[in-house]
Amino acid sequence: MIICSHCQAQQLEGTIFCTVCGASLLSARSQRQTTASLNRAAEVAQQIEDEVTILPAPTHEVAGPALALVVISSGRRIELPVAPELIIGRKDQQRNFFPDVDFSLDGGYDAGVSRRHARIICENGSYAIEDLGSSNGTFLNRQRVPPSQPMPLRHGDEVQFGMLLVRFELKL
Amino acid sequence: MSNVNLRITASRSILPATSEPQVLYALVELTAQSSAAKMPRLPLNLCLVIDRSSSMRGERLQQVKQAAMQILDLLGDNESFALVTFNDRAEVVVPAQLARARAEIKRQIGAIDAAGGTEMATGLALGLQELQRAMMPRAVHRLLLLTDGRTYGDESRCVEIARRAQSRGIGITALGIGSEWNEDLLETIAARENSRTHYITSAAEITKIFTAEVERMHSIFAQDVQARLALQPQSLVRSLDRVRPFIGPLPVIEESDFVWTAALGDWPEQDVQALLLEIVVPPLPQGRHTIMRLSIRYRTPGSDSVIQSQEQTLSVVLRDPDEVGDDVDPTVKHWLERLVAYRLQASAWQAAEEGKLEEATRRLQMAGTRLFEAGQVELARAVQEEATRLLRSGQASAEGRKRIKYGTRGLIGREEQS
Repeated sequence: MIICSHCQAQQLEGTIFCTVCGASLLSARSQRQTTASLNRAAEVAQQIEDEVTILPAPTHEVAGPALALVVISSGRRIELPVAPELIIGRKDQQRNFFPDVDFSLDGGYDAGVSRRHARIICENGSYAIEDLGSSNGTFLNRQRVPPSQPMPLRHGDEVQFGMLLVRFELKL
Repeated sequence: MSNVNLRITASRSILPATSEPQVLYALVELTAQSSAAKMPRLPLNLCLVIDRSSSMRGERLQQVKQAAMQILDLLGDNESFALVTFNDRAEVVVPAQLARARAEIKRQIGAIDAAGGTEMATGLALGLQELQRAMMPRAVHRLLLLTDGRTYGDESRCVEIARRAQSRGIGITALGIGSEWNEDLLETIAARENSRTHYITSAAEITKIFTAEVERMHSIFAQDVQARLALQPQSLVRSLDRVRPFIGPLPVIEESDFVWTAALGDWPEQDVQALLLEIVVPPLPQGRHTIMRLSIRYRTPGSDSVIQSQEQTLSVVLRDPDEVGDDVDPTVKHWLERLVAYRLQASAWQAAEEGKLEEATRRLQMAGTRLFEAGQVELARAVQEEATRLLRSGQASAEGRKRIKYGTRGLIGREEQS
């Protein structure tokens, strides 16, 4: 027997979505490995790069594109997996919402980052940023990104989620 | 000859051996083996039942007429065609006949004009009559209904006529266009395994959807498809739903102890069929276990009364709970997530009707979350919008409701990528 953390209903073992409220019953760990691994990767990166405040993107020997978001205020570097879509926002445990990139540890709430703020889309090796109707907007190189209209993203672009400034890095 | 591939994927292939019952989800995919030898095809007995109320005037009716003429060209000389229109009353425009005097039939179609109101039941009744007049014992019988408006007072007669037709092997395709029609009614009319409904968002799609539907009917290679699920003692089938080509519940019956059956209807070759099962597995000792034997039985057009069948089993391994991770199969999870979104929105509309707006909003929001997670971003956004609208104004928009109802089922043309 498991208890849904969202609505407290009793559910049989093995249930994936609560039959009463529809919330996901997979543990946060297995449900959104990306968030956990991102934060872990970021912590490691932070330890290495702590003294380097403004950051030359580290050279990667690995094959395939290396994708990262760098939070300018803290220097935190978030390595991104290659995926067709990466949701950017703030996690909300109560609603069981875990974005791929979670800015809650970067002062995301105070900076006006929406829970579901924007997404990075990868199509045929090129990247784009799309605002998902966020409350405080997404800006690409200081230009407003209109909601639901993806704008191409290039290496070195500055992206602002609400007030939170981030740099997009792409090494092919 | 076996024309069908059966594949069963479980949400987990290794289960913990616990003392409690547990849920296992299984995705059953049925594909027709690409026909090296062309499968025999049944002739079509088709009747179009077209709403010609004044709101159809202009592009909609123009498109419908063009679509009807194009359908006529798709039919062979030994197939039957009829056309009935309805507004305040119903009229047989093209009586059931073999698709031969094409120029004359097209002239009759061309003369249809739009006026008056919407009274659907008489139109359906006349359509059914035309299909029965054609007297084709071995054929695919289909009534194709298109409406853009609400019919008032004769809803229950519409459903009654639809059931009568369906019980006689006549399938119904119910198409709605615009934002005024009654989606509850069309869904009810088409809620049988040999029927379907679809939402046409713009007049420009009419021809495409009409002709696609006729092509589907032409490719039916199996009829009366039945699924039989034999389970371990003490197991249960908790639910059975179709998830492809579109999402919808399938009535499933426990025919004898631990054996369930369900009717799947006709099967066009071009459709991949997928079903999602929720099974409750009883406590079992460690080791390999056969959870379910699935057999699919169907008739093929060429082989009259011969019943073909195909069987597949689902096995899992039970192990010490400490050795079992909690990974689930991503494909099974994807379809389950979309099914859950569909169920959530359906219960949201029900809650809204009962005046429980907060409950309805919560359910819609959760449906939105599920859709986002399943990658259906456009639809998720539409759901969130309606949730907000519902909470603020106490009412969802007619168009938003249709978009969500049909969208979550995969029944709006464009959103069918998965």
